Amino acid sequence: MRSLDHLFEHSSRSLARRTSRRSLLASLGQLLTGAALLQLLPVDRGGRAWASEAAPKPDSPESCEYWKYCAIDGFLCSCCGGTSSSCPPGTAPSPITWIGTCHNPGDGRDYIVSYNDCCGKTSCGNCECNRNEREKPMYRPSRNNDLNWCMANADSNYHCSVSVILGVAEK
Amino acid sequence: MRSAPLRSAATLCLTFSVLVHAAPPPLPAEHLTVQPLPPKSPHWVYVYDEAFDNEIDARLHLFDGDSYRRLGQIDAGYLPSVSLSPDGATTAVATTYFARGSRGTRTDVVEFTDNTTLAPSGEIVLPPKRAQTAPTIFNIGYSTDGHFLYVAYVTPAASFGVLDPLHGTVLGEIDTAGCVLVIPWGPNRVSSICESGRLLTLTLDAQGREAARALSEPFFDPDRDPVFVQGIPTTGGYAFLSFLGEVHEVDLSGAQPAFTPPWSMVSPAERGRWRPGADQVGAIHRGLGRLYVPMHPGGEGTHKDGGTEIWVFDMAGHRRLARWPVQAAGLSRVLAVQVSQDPAPILFAATHAADVAVLDALSGKLRHVEKHLGQTPWMMLNP
Repeated sequence: MRSLDHLFEHSSRSLARRTSRRSLLASLGQLLTGAALLQLLPVDRGGRAWASEAAPKPDSPESCEYWKYCAIDGFLCSCCGGTSSSCPPGTAPSPITWIGTCHNPGDGRDYIVSYNDCCGKTSCGNCECNRNEREKPMYRPSRNNDLNWCMANADSNYHCSVSVILGVAEK
Repeated sequence: MRSAPLRSAATLCLTFSVLVHAAPPPLPAEHLTVQPLPPKSPHWVYVYDEAFDNEIDARLHLFDGDSYRRLGQIDAGYLPSVSLSPDGATTAVATTYFARGSRGTRTDVVEFTDNTTLAPSGEIVLPPKRAQTAPTIFNIGYSTDGHFLYVAYVTPAASFGVLDPLHGTVLGEIDTAGCVLVIPWGPNRVSSICESGRLLTLTLDAQGREAARALSEPFFDPDRDPVFVQGIPTTGGYAFLSFLGEVHEVDLSGAQPAFTPPWSMVSPAERGRWRPGADQVGAIHRGLGRLYVPMHPGGEGTHKDGGTEIWVFDMAGHRRLARWPVQAAGLSRVLAVQVSQDPAPILFAATHAADVAVLDALSGKLRHVEKHLGQTPWMMLNP
């Protein structure tokens, strides 16, 4: 456990060093402003399962260390019947979300991703993952992953989380 | 030859007869009762268990730090917010239920529990707006005189509800213009934390309506070094810890919030390498002026990783008194801390493995580890 923790910390620091985000954050701010009322939402969760709990390989969407999950907080839909960008059968995507930027070491690009939740069933309970690169507290909801993103759904019950690529982040 | 079996049988009968006569009397019939709670102890703690793997079934566990026994449970529904009344007599849980268990019509409600019996004592139905988020002591809170109860709303528009807990009514809703959570102070003031690093303070009239609002100067920089929203009660207000380890103390004993210059929990060499991190990121013994913080080595993005050590600080002297390496002692990362307020205080430390450790808050000696106290114990409250 300790060595895995160390591995994760090292991995997170490496990722942070490799990623330049100032311009991405500016773009993101504009994007969120454009999104107007669709501020960030919810998903609870405190800080359990870090990457240290993820057994699959880092390049697997079922791994907490998968590059798209750099600030995800919840259960990975990939482990719950969905994929990293699709909700499990019988659930409903959250129409509101918050947006982050993750670095893909596979192609060296930064991507803007949307952290949606899948809603309408109780929590999946599989592959919990809590990563928080550039995550901010609740007073900055556009960067917060503690809120329940399902809050505005007809059924606000949280099931799992996805990370959907919106596009390449401009430098 | 046939007499031998007969002798054996007789011996067996005799032995059996002796045994029967030597057996203790049968147990008396029992009467099924409900166990009463013992008198409240400062060493009790309410453990918030979000039950994250099955979130519609959160609960509070009442645990005794002296006997190491669970004393009872308060059911808490889905992503609850929890507060104790100023006199400690009542627990208020703001929660959400779905009509069909995990789905169906949403009902938000504040449920009250009599803390002397752990039995429900009332409820107030809310508009379906309450903030569904990670636990903090500012998701719901009482005015100091107990006449108002404030509930944070996020839809995602931010506001809060003003309730009259004595009459069981919702008095109204006050918009907070993007500032979030409810920090109650005095009999009629509420502050919310703003994205700009300021506090928005609402003053209410006797009917719970907005009488005045004021915006403070920024007391932290949300871009350079944001503060955790998990504030910690001090003698005159709250302390807020920053991601990089600064302590921002807010005094709420006057007419407006007053901010003292922040001080650092880390040395220049430690800054950015060691940092606080948890779901409940600190606890203060107000009488002793001691601050307890789960700390870990880590960089940006690790602010929710739990503590590998607990650091102890003298609040008045701004100096570190001790480092307690709890992970080295066999605990997993510490995600929540709470300290009793009596002269012989206990420090409770809830871990990633859902254990709750009981430590002597003066020496750091580990007294007990209660294994699996719930599923995800992410916050603890003093009785």
